[in-house]
Amino acid sequence: MTRSLWIWLGALPIFACASFAQNADQGKPAPGNPAGSPADTREAAPGVPALGQANVADRAFIRAAMLGGRAEVQFGKLAETKASSEAVKNFGRRMAHDHGAANDRLFSLAGRLTVALPPDQLGPEHKILWSRLDAEDGAKFDKDYIDAQIGDHQKTAQLFEYEIGSGQDAQLKAFASDQLPVIFEHLRMARVLSDALAIQMMAAASPLQK
Amino acid sequence: MRSCSPTLSPLLGALLCAVGASAAPLPPDASYRPLPAAPFDQVKADDEAQKTEVMQRQRNLLEERFDLSDQPIPNILMSGGRKSVQGGVRVKLPTGISWDSLANMSADEIRERGVLPKGFMPLPHVKQATGGQVFPDEEIDEIARQEQRNLRRFDVDFDLPDRFTPEFPAPIFLTTHPELGDVSRGQLVTIKNYYELFVGILTPVQLEGMRLLLTPFPQEEFNQTEDRKSADQSLGVTCLDCHANFHTNGAFHQTPDVRPQAARFRLDTVSLRGLFNQQIHGSKRSLRSVEDFTQFEQRTAYFNGDQVSAQRKGVNLPNRFDQVPMMAQMQNIIDFPPAPKLDPTGHLNPAKATPEELAGEQVFMGKGRCSSCHIPETAFMDNNMHDLQLERFYKVGQTQNGLVMLPDGPIKTLTLRGIKDSPPYLHDGRLLTLADTVEYFNLVLGLKLSQPEKDNLVSYLLTL
Repeated sequence: MTRSLWIWLGALPIFACASFAQNADQGKPAPGNPAGSPADTREAAPGVPALGQANVADRAFIRAAMLGGRAEVQFGKLAETKASSEAVKNFGRRMAHDHGAANDRLFSLAGRLTVALPPDQLGPEHKILWSRLDAEDGAKFDKDYIDAQIGDHQKTAQLFEYEIGSGQDAQLKAFASDQLPVIFEHLRMARVLSDALAIQMMAAASPLQK
Repeated sequence: MRSCSPTLSPLLGALLCAVGASAAPLPPDASYRPLPAAPFDQVKADDEAQKTEVMQRQRNLLEERFDLSDQPIPNILMSGGRKSVQGGVRVKLPTGISWDSLANMSADEIRERGVLPKGFMPLPHVKQATGGQVFPDEEIDEIARQEQRNLRRFDVDFDLPDRFTPEFPAPIFLTTHPELGDVSRGQLVTIKNYYELFVGILTPVQLEGMRLLLTPFPQEEFNQTEDRKSADQSLGVTCLDCHANFHTNGAFHQTPDVRPQAARFRLDTVSLRGLFNQQIHGSKRSLRSVEDFTQFEQRTAYFNGDQVSAQRKGVNLPNRFDQVPMMAQMQNIIDFPPAPKLDPTGHLNPAKATPEELAGEQVFMGKGRCSSCHIPETAFMDNNMHDLQLERFYKVGQTQNGLVMLPDGPIKTLTLRGIKDSPPYLHDGRLLTLADTVEYFNLVLGLKLSQPEKDNLVSYLLTL
């Protein structure tokens, strides 16, 4: 069973992500709660914030999504070169690709807003993780990378939901809505991989295998 | 990151950094309610300007999902005899799909092809980003007439057509006085009329419980602060503003048990009928007593599970040793409406039921597997929560009118006694008719019922 799982994972379409991004709001997000709009927000029409008018949630989102997205690409590339299993390599390649494309879109959206972008480096928690993964290899690396990916994608999903509910800039909210199904698909893949890796490690450690 | 100061020993610094790194740096208002960023008059003006679009978006969503036309079931009325029951399957199918072809597809195929009827998916709040309690016009108008208290919001109106809500005002049946029948005398019970209606029928303890259930207290959208959605500084809301006449008027809210805001699913007000037999309370919280539920609704229905916001707006904490038990005792004597075709064990009396109804009971008890959770002998519930796993049929994370479509997880089994009185159906009211719920369960449980079996099942449900 484990073997067939690996074959199936290896066969996952790598760049198919965009096809299942479904935003039923079709690029026009639902109006937000005006209580979350700063008093000096410029409006395109009464009750409609002008594009590029960021509120506090938009700013928090851009910073966190950009830091997280860049980390995804860097860790994805690390896994692509360093992972011992093909499935984890493929997963890392897909993360680097998907998050790279999302980062480009976010970067151009953020450029319209008067917000300071975060420094182009890993955040403190990801620096610690990088040091740890850099020192590991083999199955241990694969498992720790994938488990960190589960936590990161859980956090990212909540962050994107936060922007959908609390953000103000329509294009930024549409971006979050478009990306959220992809993030959940990544999370699902990482959970399946983690379970499979755990079984594989247990089997390798079992006396029956030796 | 101050904990990573270089003045700390390297080992201690590394430890503290590692501990700090495990805390998810999501913004605090992903959980807590933020203070308004703009003054009240500006927020109100913006809300009013948005309202046309807000209502039109929701109307478009409802029309995309449902056939909203008037199709009453002949010769069937709700228990008060004042409102007809809407019939027929109202959920629309995707082009090229029939109910039978859908039932023969695997969950994976339905998900991959994106052909789950949208009416089966979670129903968004009329304004998801703001959320909060929304009352039907009948309730708003009657409370204004009797109490001169304002339940109207300036940002949204009630979204479902009246024909899909319970009859108003609903009849009231008491376990302590079955011989009297409906004791509401056709009135909405309020703080202005309850005493005259019920003195001599209720005990002093029950009367005091009712008084408390009819007394307005500050709530998230109806309060005196600038963070409100009523034009005036509001007196607040009462328990029975939603649970009108101890039933439901279809008022809706969002679950207090989920964050962030975009993920909070809609909650359709549950009826309080038959609470005496119900062992768990709340769609998600599984509170173990009516007393717990009564106490905690001041934290949840009133303030979204945010005790910080409640503290600022004026929280009411009913006394657990005196007031809460009286409120609970009042709720615990609310009976189901009469079901003359059911025997004392909850099964159809063959002498009174039609062949279709009896055939429907056979489906209910057998092929339909309804009775595995809705057990006739225990008031058509099992006092458990179950996960129907609808997410097998759609891709999670899609956004529809501001609501992110996510798995519902385990939800409390609701009673089916008096079910024709309680549209819309499911915890969020996503299904408008009993025929819709039959199609829903036909799919999620993989029943493959025939059309006559579905029709008979609906006939049976109308007898409960």
